[in-house]
Amino acid sequence: MSISVESAKEHAKDPAVVCCRFEAGTIIEPSNLEDPAIFPDLEDSKLLEITSDTLTIGEVLGAKLIKTTEALTPLTADMLEGITVVEEKSVPKTEEVKTEAPVQTMAAPVITTTAGGVIKIQIEEGRGINLEIPMMAAPVQTQTVAPVVAREEVKTVEVAQVAAEVKPAKELRRLTKKHFKIEEVVFGAETKIEGTTLTLREDIAKEAIGSQDLVVDLTVDIITPDKYDTYSETIMDVQPIATKEGEDKLGTGATRVLDGIIVMVTGTDENGVQIGEFGSSEGILSENIMWDRPGAPDKGDIFIKTQVIIKEGTNMERPGPLAAHAATDFITQEIRNALKKLDESLVVETEELVQFRRPGKKKVVVIKEIMGQGAMHDNIILPTEPSGIMGGRPNVDLGNLPIMLSPLEVLDGGVHALTCIGPASKECSRHYYREPLVIEAMLDPEVDFCGVIFVGSPQVNAEKYYVSERLGMTVEALDVDGAIVTTEGFGNNHIDFASHIEQIGSRGISVVGMSFCAVQGALVVGNKYMTHMVDNNKSEEGIENEILSCNTLCKEDALRALGMVKSAMTGEDVKAPERAWNANVKESNLEAVEGHNGEGIVRVPNETIIPMSDKRIEKLKTK
Amino acid sequence: MKYGDKIIKMQGVVVEISDGAVAMDLKGRLGYLKVPMRMLITDYEIKIGQEVEFNMSFPEITSNEVNEKYVSNIMRNKRGGK
Repeated sequence: MSISVESAKEHAKDPAVVCCRFEAGTIIEPSNLEDPAIFPDLEDSKLLEITSDTLTIGEVLGAKLIKTTEALTPLTADMLEGITVVEEKSVPKTEEVKTEAPVQTMAAPVITTTAGGVIKIQIEEGRGINLEIPMMAAPVQTQTVAPVVAREEVKTVEVAQVAAEVKPAKELRRLTKKHFKIEEVVFGAETKIEGTTLTLREDIAKEAIGSQDLVVDLTVDIITPDKYDTYSETIMDVQPIATKEGEDKLGTGATRVLDGIIVMVTGTDENGVQIGEFGSSEGILSENIMWDRPGAPDKGDIFIKTQVIIKEGTNMERPGPLAAHAATDFITQEIRNALKKLDESLVVETEELVQFRRPGKKKVVVIKEIMGQGAMHDNIILPTEPSGIMGGRPNVDLGNLPIMLSPLEVLDGGVHALTCIGPASKECSRHYYREPLVIEAMLDPEVDFCGVIFVGSPQVNAEKYYVSERLGMTVEALDVDGAIVTTEGFGNNHIDFASHIEQIGSRGISVVGMSFCAVQGALVVGNKYMTHMVDNNKSEEGIENEILSCNTLCKEDALRALGMVKSAMTGEDVKAPERAWNANVKESNLEAVEGHNGEGIVRVPNETIIPMSDKRIEKLKTK
Repeated sequence: MKYGDKIIKMQGVVVEISDGAVAMDLKGRLGYLKVPMRMLITDYEIKIGQEVEFNMSFPEITSNEVNEKYVSNIMRNKRGGK
């Protein structure tokens, strides 16, 4: 299959291989050449062998064939005359980042008998056989990956900064977080906090049950570190316990937060079926949690764990998961009310978060795609209390359209996540309260971080494109230089994720995508704007490993994405992705970012540090 | 996987829809599949009776061992979560 003139330009540095048989004397044009996108498949199937002396497309165009060549012959200097000499450009220092496997679009295959996209025909003996090879649907190849900060980029940034008029950063608003420490949780007659002891009203569960029609039972467990080895139903959400002072609105003023304690929502329906979950990820807590991730409990935290039982058969219907969350929030609200009354003298730490705009710097927006397919695929936006429910609106009810939040609204619990699958990639409510990309973008003095857009991911493709087009218009109107688009987990949300990147990229704005991809979450669609990608994977095998929050966005990913968007905005070249997921690409990019920032980045651990029971160790040995 | 590249086309019919999940019978009495909504791709509003297609290979048992964690969860579910 020949290539177009445009494609020949894009692939000028790729090997030149003729697509059919051509007679001596043919002048090489794009229509004589095979599409480089299919070379890896051809090489795998031994139909093609590209050697180091194979010329590039840029070199052979316009040259004359001096030998008759068969289909799929790589062109070398001895077959041609009039080769164009292409000047060697210095090799960019950017590290190649490979995050996901190459992706095919959903273009229907022309041939159904393909295996791995290639027809394999073996002929032991024969005559007069006329084959046209290869027969393939045009696979639209996406460059699903990216590179990162290079030294060259550093220089460019510095020069740009010197040249630009130095304007002072402008403070927009600030948020004070007052931390109170909890070291003990007990049951008692009333909910109160004394010193570092939280007392929870004994009969609170009964009222929490009564607050929701669909909730038939609820038990509250206090999980201290010595009880981490106990059984739990699937973890639906992890939430901070925080409250606003006085009339302060979310994202401004003062927030009081309890340290050393979180709320955990778990539950089933009356038949024992897990709420909003598929497959079994319930089990021993300590084996199912990746500690210290932004959205997970920290090791040492005390959990107030609710086990909610909702009406039979409602576990997959929209009101079911919401009722479990609302019943739990009834309890959290009572703790919040006690927290409001605490004396200031008990504050152990005061944190001052300041939102700056940095005029003169490259303007960057962060876009977070959140689930909006329905039921547990939903989030409550901007509740009155941090990570609360009351006062907020589900993004599904808001039509999943883009909504702008200030970074401080996000870090003040502006998103209550109903969180669905899978455990390793879902962003729990606590994730948004500690969202690393928002934190790092706020702290980065090299960018003018203007805000965080939340956009829901609806179910049907037409709705996906509807919201994506609105996102494109919104970003266009913002006049940003760069955008970082994140999504949570994998599935049909990757369709709108790709569309968001296209909408932004087609407007000439540098755009970086972040997602869990690796092996299992490889993108299902792609487009030519998906050149800068950061993979959130941390698992050894690149899969959904059922460990809560393992593959969510962490500080190390945030720094890579910021490095990448800065590289993109200054016009750094990006190398194409490798064919299959390779964890080393991430490591080399991290090193590039460390080189630029001048300080080390702590790599978060993965599931290999989680203690295994003797039985499991024994089993792994036998594998 | 030893046979992971043996991809076969499957067809099915949507038989159950809830807000968070969709279930389908595989044509030819080949089984039943229930997936979260986000794992289903559609250009159309989902309705019972719509047909689906996808490629799959045969599930292969990876080893002779059982995973006690899952066994205990399954037993627990059979007891109605007790």
